[in-house]
Amino acid sequence: MVDTIVFVICAVICLTGAIGVIAARNPVHSALMLVMTLFGIAVLFIAQEAHFLAAVQVIVYAGAIVVLFLFVIMLLGVDVATDLELGKLRGQKTAAAGFAVVALAVVGYLIVNVDTTRTGVQSQGGVIDNVTPNVDLLAESLFDQYVYAFELTSVLLVVAVIGAVVLSRRHPPLDTDSAEASN
Amino acid sequence: MELAMLAFERPAIDWHAFAPELVLLAVGSILTLIDIVYNERARRVMPALAAVGLLATLVPVLTLAVDGADRSMFDGAFVVDDMALTLKALFLISGFVVVLLSVDYIRDGDYHENEYYSLLLASLLGMVLIASSRDLITMFIALELLSIPAYMLAAWRKGGATSNEAGLKYYLMGVFASAIMLYGMSLIFGVSGSTQFDAIRVALDTGGDSAPMVTLGILFVLVGFGFKVSAVPFHTWAPDVYEGSPTPITAFLAVAAKAAGFVALLQLVFVAFSGRYDVVEPFFWIMAALTMTVGNLMALRQTNIVRMLAYSGVAQGGFMLAPFAVAGQATDSAIQAIVTYLIIYAFMNLGAFAVVLAVAKKTRSGEISSYAGLFSYAPGLAVAMTVFMAALAGIPPAGGWVAKLLVWRALLDASSVQGTVLAVVVAFNAVLAFSYYAKVLREMWMSDAPDGDTSPVSVSGTLTLALGLTVLATLAFGVFPQLAARFGDFSASFAL
Repeated sequence: MVDTIVFVICAVICLTGAIGVIAARNPVHSALMLVMTLFGIAVLFIAQEAHFLAAVQVIVYAGAIVVLFLFVIMLLGVDVATDLELGKLRGQKTAAAGFAVVALAVVGYLIVNVDTTRTGVQSQGGVIDNVTPNVDLLAESLFDQYVYAFELTSVLLVVAVIGAVVLSRRHPPLDTDSAEASN
Repeated sequence: MELAMLAFERPAIDWHAFAPELVLLAVGSILTLIDIVYNERARRVMPALAAVGLLATLVPVLTLAVDGADRSMFDGAFVVDDMALTLKALFLISGFVVVLLSVDYIRDGDYHENEYYSLLLASLLGMVLIASSRDLITMFIALELLSIPAYMLAAWRKGGATSNEAGLKYYLMGVFASAIMLYGMSLIFGVSGSTQFDAIRVALDTGGDSAPMVTLGILFVLVGFGFKVSAVPFHTWAPDVYEGSPTPITAFLAVAAKAAGFVALLQLVFVAFSGRYDVVEPFFWIMAALTMTVGNLMALRQTNIVRMLAYSGVAQGGFMLAPFAVAGQATDSAIQAIVTYLIIYAFMNLGAFAVVLAVAKKTRSGEISSYAGLFSYAPGLAVAMTVFMAALAGIPPAGGWVAKLLVWRALLDASSVQGTVLAVVVAFNAVLAFSYYAKVLREMWMSDAPDGDTSPVSVSGTLTLALGLTVLATLAFGVFPQLAARFGDFSASFAL
C-alpha cells in the first residue's frame, strides 16, 4: 500500500518535471525542472531498496550534472527564452514526435514482456545477496578487493587537476612558430 | 532496515613490494608541494629533485631484485616478479634520461617548469604500476595514469600551434583507444566473470560457448593497445604528435610510453589470453608485417629528423610486435626477444633524441639537411649519432643487432610457415630501414656544413651525461649480447 502511494507521488513529480523541462520558456527553469525529475527518480530507487543508486542519483545527476547545465546556460547567456527561437531546425518537432513514438513503443514492448527471461544467466559481476544491503557490499569491495585501484584513481584525479590548471592558465603566445625549429 | 556490519579486514599489504611505487609517489607529491609553497623560486631545484627521486626509486627495485622472491597482493592484482622489476628499472632509467634531456629545453623555453616534472613523474608512476598489474581494472587505471599526464605534456609548448595540435590529437586518439579497450575488457569480464588475469586465462580456456564474444573482446583490447604502441593502422597520430610535442616529451612518448604499451601487451597475451593463441597470433602477424613495412616506407620519405624518428619508431614497433605472432609456438624466445628489444630500443632511441636536441640548439632546425657536415664541427655528436643510427639499423657492434637477432630466432624457433615468412618480412624491412638511417649518416660525414658555418655546438652537462649513458649502454649491449639477452630471459616467470 505504502509502496503504491510512494510510487504514485513520485511518478507525478517525475512526469511534472519532465513536462516542465520541455514546456518552460526559460532555460534556467528547464534545468530546475530536470532536478525535480531526478529527485523523483531517486526516491523511486529508495523505494526499490537501491540506496546506493539513490545517493548517486542525487549527488551526480541532481548535483553535478545539473550545475554544469546551469553553468553552460549562464556562460552562453541563453537564459532568455527568445534566444532559443533562433536555432530551430526545420522539421525538428515532427522528428521529435517520431522519436517519442518509437521510444514509447520500445518501453511498451519491454513492459509487456517483462516476465519473459532472455538468457536466464545470473550476472557475473555483482551477485545479488538479499541479506546484506548493497551499499555495504559496494563499500566492502571498494575498500577491500579494489582498494588498490581505488587509491590509484585518486592519484589519477589529482594529476588530471594539476595538468588542467596549468593548461588552462593564460600564456603569452610565442612571437612566431620559429621556436618549433628547436624541435 | 537492519544494517549488518560486515567484518572488515584490511587487505594484507607487503610494503616492501610496494616500496618503488610509494617512493615515486612521495617524490611526485613533494615536487607538487614545493611548487605550491615556493612557486617560481623552486624552478632551479625541480629537475635535480626529480632526477634524484628517480634514482631513489631504483633503490627499492634493486633490493627487491636482490631479494628475488615473487610477491603478489590484492588477489593477484599487483605482482612483483623478475620481469616486473626489470621493466620498472627500464622505465625509471628512461625517465631519468628524459629528465636529463629536459633540463635545458624546459628552462630555456617559456614553459611551466615545476608542473612539468610532477606530471612526468606521475606518468612514470603509471608505467611502473603497469609493469606489476595482473588485473584488468588495475591495468586500465595504470594506463590512464601514464597517458593523461602524457596528453598534457604533449601540449606543453602552449604558445605553439603544433604543440596544441599534438596534445589534442594525442588526447582524442588516446581516449578513443581507451574506449575501445574498455569495451573489450567488459566483454572479457562478462565471459570470464573476473578481472584477474589468471582467472581470465582459466575461464577462456574452458568457456567454449561464447567463442565469438571472447574473440571480439580480445581483439578490442589488443586494438586499444595497438593505438598506444602506434602499430599500423593505428599509428596515424604518432608523427604529428611527435613533431609537435616538446622534444624531450617526444623522446618520452617514443620510448617509455611505447614500452609501457608493450609491457601491457606482454602480460595480456602471455598471461590472460594464453589459452587463445589461435586468436592472438594471426592478429599480431598482420599487424607486425603492416607496421614494419608502412613505418619504413613512410620514414624513407621524411625530411624532418623528428618525423623520420617517429616513423622509424613505428617500424621498430613492428619488429617488437613480430614475436607476438609466434606467441604460442615459441613462447619463451618470443618473450625474451620482446623484452630485450624494448631495453635496447629505449637506449638507442633516447640517445638519438639527445643528439637531435643538442644539434637543434645550434641549428634551430629539425631538417635532416641541417646535419650536413656535423662531423666537421661537432665530431663527438656525429660519432654518437652514428652509433645510434647503426644501432637502430641493426649493424654490429651497436646494440640493435642483438635485438633483431633475437626476433629472428623467436620467429624461426616457431618452425612454422607463418613464422618463417614473417622472418623474411623482418629481414626485408631491416634492409629497407638501413637506407634512411644511412641518409643521416651521409649528411653528417660526407656533406659540407651549410654556409660554411662550423662554429662548435655547445652541449650542456646534463645532455652530455644523457649521451654518455645511452652510448655506453647501446655499445655494451652490442658488444656483450649475453648481457641484454640475460635481462630479457624470463621463461621462469611465465611457467604456468
